[in-house]
Amino acid sequence: MSTIEVQGLRKVFRTRRGPVEAVAGIDFRVQAGEFVGYAGPNGAGKSTTVKMMSGILLPSGGRVEVCGLVPYRERKRLARRMGVVFGQRTQLWWDLPLQESFELVGHLYRVPAADRRARLRRLEEVLALGPLLEVPVRSLSLGQRMRAELAAAVLPAPEVLFLDEPTIGLDVEAKVAVREFLRELNRAEGTTVILTTHDLDDITRLCNRLIVIDHGRIVFDGTIDQLHAAYGSTRMLVVDLADPSATLVPGPGWAGAQVVRAEGHRRWVRFARDQVSAADLVAGVLAEHQVLDLSIVEPDIEDVIRRIYRGERGR
Amino acid sequence: MAERPGIYLRLAAAAVRATARRPAYLAGRTLAAGLLVAVEIAGVVLLVDRFGTIGGWRTAEVVLLFGLAFAGQGLALLFGDTLEADKVSTLVRRGTFDQVLTRPVSPLGWVVASYVDTRFLGRVLAGAGTVVWAADRAGVAWTPGRAGLAALAVVCAAAIIFGVLLAAAGFTFVTVQGSEAVNVLIYGGQYLASYPMQIYGSALRFLFVWVVPFGLAIYVPALAILDRQGPPGMPGWLAWLSAPAAAAFLVVGGLAWRAGIRRYVGTGS
Repeated sequence: MSTIEVQGLRKVFRTRRGPVEAVAGIDFRVQAGEFVGYAGPNGAGKSTTVKMMSGILLPSGGRVEVCGLVPYRERKRLARRMGVVFGQRTQLWWDLPLQESFELVGHLYRVPAADRRARLRRLEEVLALGPLLEVPVRSLSLGQRMRAELAAAVLPAPEVLFLDEPTIGLDVEAKVAVREFLRELNRAEGTTVILTTHDLDDITRLCNRLIVIDHGRIVFDGTIDQLHAAYGSTRMLVVDLADPSATLVPGPGWAGAQVVRAEGHRRWVRFARDQVSAADLVAGVLAEHQVLDLSIVEPDIEDVIRRIYRGERGR
Repeated sequence: MAERPGIYLRLAAAAVRATARRPAYLAGRTLAAGLLVAVEIAGVVLLVDRFGTIGGWRTAEVVLLFGLAFAGQGLALLFGDTLEADKVSTLVRRGTFDQVLTRPVSPLGWVVASYVDTRFLGRVLAGAGTVVWAADRAGVAWTPGRAGLAALAVVCAAAIIFGVLLAAAGFTFVTVQGSEAVNVLIYGGQYLASYPMQIYGSALRFLFVWVVPFGLAIYVPALAILDRQGPPGMPGWLAWLSAPAAAAFLVVGGLAWRAGIRRYVGTGS
């Protein structure tokens, strides 16, 4: 059985200007242990879907099951098995020392005291929360608070974790810490994670699957590699040749690759991943030229997603 | 509410600890709430003293009614202040309520416990103090029965106000806008009921005894405490009706709240 099953799910909001179909019939299944990125432009239906999956919102049609439970009907039972982090709101007790939030969460989710202490010790270590325990939540920096939110959300060892923009507003270091933690949580505990985000870096670094929603419909569902394949995205080989005047001549195994820019020692070669492998290309260049340095630039996922939003069709 | 009352006590304790971290602030707010009662009582004293009596009630007797009403209101707001329309709509608009719905507890229990406002203890204590003072001036001979009646009056009035707040909160989920109409109902209604009921016409009296039982919760027990005769024709058994009436308000309020939540989950915001 899948951890999440969504079938023909719809949500229609009645507004003053008539009904608006925020989610227009979507289907997907998420298996236990998957790390799924859920992306889409503002108003695409992302948070409406997450609300229906977490029992906050009743679907207008279709079916949704999480951990084998119907969210809106078995809200409390599901709540025990699910963790939620909304990046811009706090789940912690604002005026109390952080430690008290963890204790309250432990009681709320009936985590036995011994388990709670053991788990907290690990979380405190991984998320470097030790020095913050006595600090009131209101005094934490955004990065510190986000680490604390994550710790509180996973303290009851949820089977599913819904994350909404967990890295929004964080500095680079804090982002790395949060991502590191999530990756490890998913790997070590098999927690199923649904990550809603605008930060495509989060997605490429964490998710093995990406679902893109736009205008209430799913426009892409697959791995990042499939995304690039479907949208024909290209990679770039950047080489520094020893001889700045040398011309980089396309060799026999270079199908489709082309030199798009040359500047001093440096040449930029664009190639499609399904036409030539990076290894073949590099081997070809090395066989013909003396090379000072080379690197491969992965395609910009943001660019790909922007093309999806613009309504370009995949191949 | 749900399975284990323990968690709600913990949540309430956390709310109290949170305010207690700023003791000066808490003390100031509590004192202000108490002072407000004193000022309003002083106003009543001045007003009634002008006429000597209102509907045959002496100043101290009227003040006793007010004391009971204030204590009841304080008790209701201690737990239910956050259920006021504007506060509920803030919870909804900020998305706080969505988060409450992701917790494995009763949303009502969560909201009430998490937003216990100890400042209203000031109102409860000032109201109780007023009752004691006014009873002394009115020459009430306290018996356990009379003290019990006074406590019952306060609790029932509180339950009625809480029920109205609850119903209003349920309604707010549908409108998601602060509704002033409800405030008028609560404070206006209370203000009316604080004056002896004979000064209203019989139609209005009927309305207040049966429809908004403030009068039932406070006036009838007050008659017994003050050893006064009620208006002619008032049946004696009326005194027994305040507890069931208060319970009915709670039930109706609870149903309205549940309907509101069901509606909220259905529509979202």
